[in-house]
Amino acid sequence: MRTRDSILSAIRAGLGGSRNDPAAIAAEAAELLAAPETIRPPLVAATRVDAFCEKVEALGVTLDRIGSIGEVPASVRRYLEDQRLSAEIAVESAALFRDLDWGEIRPRLAVAPDALAAVGLARHGIAESGSLVIHSCKETRILLALLPLHHIVVLRAANIVSHLEDYAALLVGHETSPRNAVLITGPSGTTDIEGSYVRGAHGPGFVHVILVVDA
Amino acid sequence: MTDASRPRVGLFVTCLVDAMRPEIGFAAIRLLEDAGCDVEVPTRQTCCGQPAYNSGDDVSTAAVARQVIAAFEPFDHLIVPSGSCAGTIQHGYPALLASDAEWGPRAARLAEKTHEIISYLVDIRNYTPGRLRLEGSATYHDSCAGLRELGIHDQPRRLLATVDSLEMRPLDGENVCCGFGGMFCVKYPAISNAIVDEKADAVERSGADMLLAGDLGCLMNMAGKLNRRGSKVRCFHTIEILAGGGDGPAIGEKS
Amino acid sequence: MTATTRPGFKARSDAALANSTLKTAIDRTAERKRAAALARFAEYEAARSRGSAIKDHVIANLDHYLEMFERNATASGAKVHWAATEAEACDIVIRLCREAGAKRVTRSKSMLGEEIGLPDALGSAGIERVETDLAEHIIQLAGEHPSHIIWPAMHRTREQVAELFNADHKPPPADDEAASMVQSARHVLREKFLSAGVGISGANFLIADTGATCTVTNEGNAELTTTPPRLHIVTAGIEKLVPSTSHAMALLRLLVRAATGSELTQYTTFHCGPKRPGDADGPQEMHIVLVDNGRSEMIANEFRDMLRCIRCGACMNHCVVYRQIGGHAYGGTYPGPMGAVLTPVFDGLAPSRDLPFACTMNGRCAEVCPVEIPLPMLLRSWRGRSWRAGLESEPMRTGLVAWAGLARRPSLYRMASGIGVRALRLLGRSGWIGSLPFAAGWTRHRDLPSPTGGTFMERYKAERGKRPEDRR
Repeated sequence: MRTRDSILSAIRAGLGGSRNDPAAIAAEAAELLAAPETIRPPLVAATRVDAFCEKVEALGVTLDRIGSIGEVPASVRRYLEDQRLSAEIAVESAALFRDLDWGEIRPRLAVAPDALAAVGLARHGIAESGSLVIHSCKETRILLALLPLHHIVVLRAANIVSHLEDYAALLVGHETSPRNAVLITGPSGTTDIEGSYVRGAHGPGFVHVILVVDA
Repeated sequence: MTDASRPRVGLFVTCLVDAMRPEIGFAAIRLLEDAGCDVEVPTRQTCCGQPAYNSGDDVSTAAVARQVIAAFEPFDHLIVPSGSCAGTIQHGYPALLASDAEWGPRAARLAEKTHEIISYLVDIRNYTPGRLRLEGSATYHDSCAGLRELGIHDQPRRLLATVDSLEMRPLDGENVCCGFGGMFCVKYPAISNAIVDEKADAVERSGADMLLAGDLGCLMNMAGKLNRRGSKVRCFHTIEILAGGGDGPAIGEKS
Repeated sequence: MTATTRPGFKARSDAALANSTLKTAIDRTAERKRAAALARFAEYEAARSRGSAIKDHVIANLDHYLEMFERNATASGAKVHWAATEAEACDIVIRLCREAGAKRVTRSKSMLGEEIGLPDALGSAGIERVETDLAEHIIQLAGEHPSHIIWPAMHRTREQVAELFNADHKPPPADDEAASMVQSARHVLREKFLSAGVGISGANFLIADTGATCTVTNEGNAELTTTPPRLHIVTAGIEKLVPSTSHAMALLRLLVRAATGSELTQYTTFHCGPKRPGDADGPQEMHIVLVDNGRSEMIANEFRDMLRCIRCGACMNHCVVYRQIGGHAYGGTYPGPMGAVLTPVFDGLAPSRDLPFACTMNGRCAEVCPVEIPLPMLLRSWRGRSWRAGLESEPMRTGLVAWAGLARRPSLYRMASGIGVRALRLLGRSGWIGSLPFAAGWTRHRDLPSPTGGTFMERYKAERGKRPEDRR
């Protein structure tokens, strides 16, 4: 504790003078978030869903819009066939997926270190940036979003928020605020060798969004 | 001010122009008079103090600054044919003398009425040169202090566009430093050389006959490098061209 | 270190300038990045002012936010540690690794980790360190330190990377194209991610109101580093605090655009405590080491603005000096303009006093800084300290003082400049002077134009006499 206290007292000595009380500090911090539209780019399309789709595709993410959760297995199958991938893939143990008829797809719960493909569920989409948000929980393994070469992500259009701050607000004081919140914005990539862009650095080289636009 | 329409301006010649290329000072007088100013050259001027300022010798800089302030505060404006010196007077002096009860406010007042010549001609005097003609092509380098400390970008281009038959060519990296940096170029000559070498490449790639800029320090650096490389590009201060001096000897050419 | 590294910096920068491969490597990255440089949006300038106001607000209330962070991080189940110095920080990390019985640790790129010398400390402690960021993997194989804070291996061409991979990777990459080498590193590192006992990351932000730490990567290596091991250790500077996740978002927009030209990093992750009951994966323990290392001192001095720095690297990308000599020549953890401000803080001014001077004061770094740090002004402050401490060479000091004395005596100055001009005219009869002993730094590389005649002041005095219309 001595180090802690000596750092804090060095800071206080450096700041000197009269100090604001916590309420005043909080008010000033809130003021710094005022009029967010003046400090961020507007959405690239009129609706959240359209803006999200435009952003996601610009990032090199592929997209399939479907009308209901029931169509997820068929959409996954189409993607696997297009990519000539095996039908034996890891699927997140989400309640939403459990009752689906997966047909010839043989879902497994475990994701292998060198898995080719996995199906996961995103909590949210962010229209501003085309980000998919994964939350750690009982059902969601963070590694499922990182290990496979192809990450197939199911997202409900209703869960797309407008801007980064709108998502951030969901993390405040929320009982179920997760241990890990991962914003995935396009496939894993690197420019570490001579600045040239290569996808699939450590995480997935391909991200495919199945957007469920249900009523 | 004696006559609002005819401001009385003090010309700060700069130490480099004074010693190396007085033509720039005379071009400044010609343009300022043409723009309706009464021009005077106070004799109690030497240098703006930048060599000391950039070396961290604030005491010497402040002494030089007080001398400049005293010499120029009687004028309506202080005009400088250099963005770098103007930047020192406009930003450096007030910062340096901020805690001085007497000189701080005086420095701030002088900063207010100090202008780099081209921005003064365009922004304050709304000046357009008379009919000028110069055969050939030129490219323009934005000297850093003028560009970033004073926001000089469009003004020289606007004035140069009025010169008949002068083709302005784009310069790759026009806003990238030439590597002069005052004392920097003699303290770290090898690094400075590598930077100015790239600048000379870009100038030659532009295919222009002439290189123009608004600061003699940068111009001497670039002209000296171009000449060492055997380049035929001719270098002038922008105001020399605007004052009709484009037919005369360029930097380094025998008069 | 010796009291003066003047030959040190000079020697390093000369070597860098003589290394044409280095220049090729820097240029190749720079060219590719030029198109993307600093993606802006219409509201960028307002966002930039707001971003720097957020950082200023945090620094002005740093004690408050540190305590708030500590409270919330502890509530999330993380353990918060405090380190005043780099040695203390390393000791804490190594003790934690030892207590966890970890033989192998994975590390996700963190400049703070480099600053405190963690890679070497882990090595000395006999703990196997696996760098997982591709560039850090490259420099680990090369036995080097980062030369850039965003592209640590910027100084290496792809051919040089291929040499390293061919020697180390089994099997070696298919060829020396970037794509093949990335594939090879993915394969080699995959198994190491999953077998590490401890994962160490830095933090781009510490979120006071949730106690979370935030990492940003494009490769996904931070998540792979922090999820599988039993322990996740975060090392972060105390200036990384932000009030809330929303404040972090406002800064993220600036950070990523300024760093790489993208709008957002591919992986932006908030880590809040260890694995929770029932969580499908995650570390059993999370430790956060808050590092001061000179920062609390900067609050009280003229370098306080530097605490706004969000480590985007834009200043070095746009620095003409950095572009010529690369990062290693700077000799500190952080290169380029921000490094030239910070290195004297960490190492002391005497051994690093070349850095604030190795700058042309062109102002481009401040122009591109997403949090409006007046870098040239801060470098000038170091120059002032250097002068006051008498660190300048004696000839330099005497010369400058003599010049300043002249500059304050106009008539004497006129006499001296008149003589100087005439002497130069004699030397430069052709219009140019090719060699000048007392200005060898100039004439070694370029010609000096000869003065065109007498001084302006002499000629003006003479001409004024001839002008009948002269009002004076």
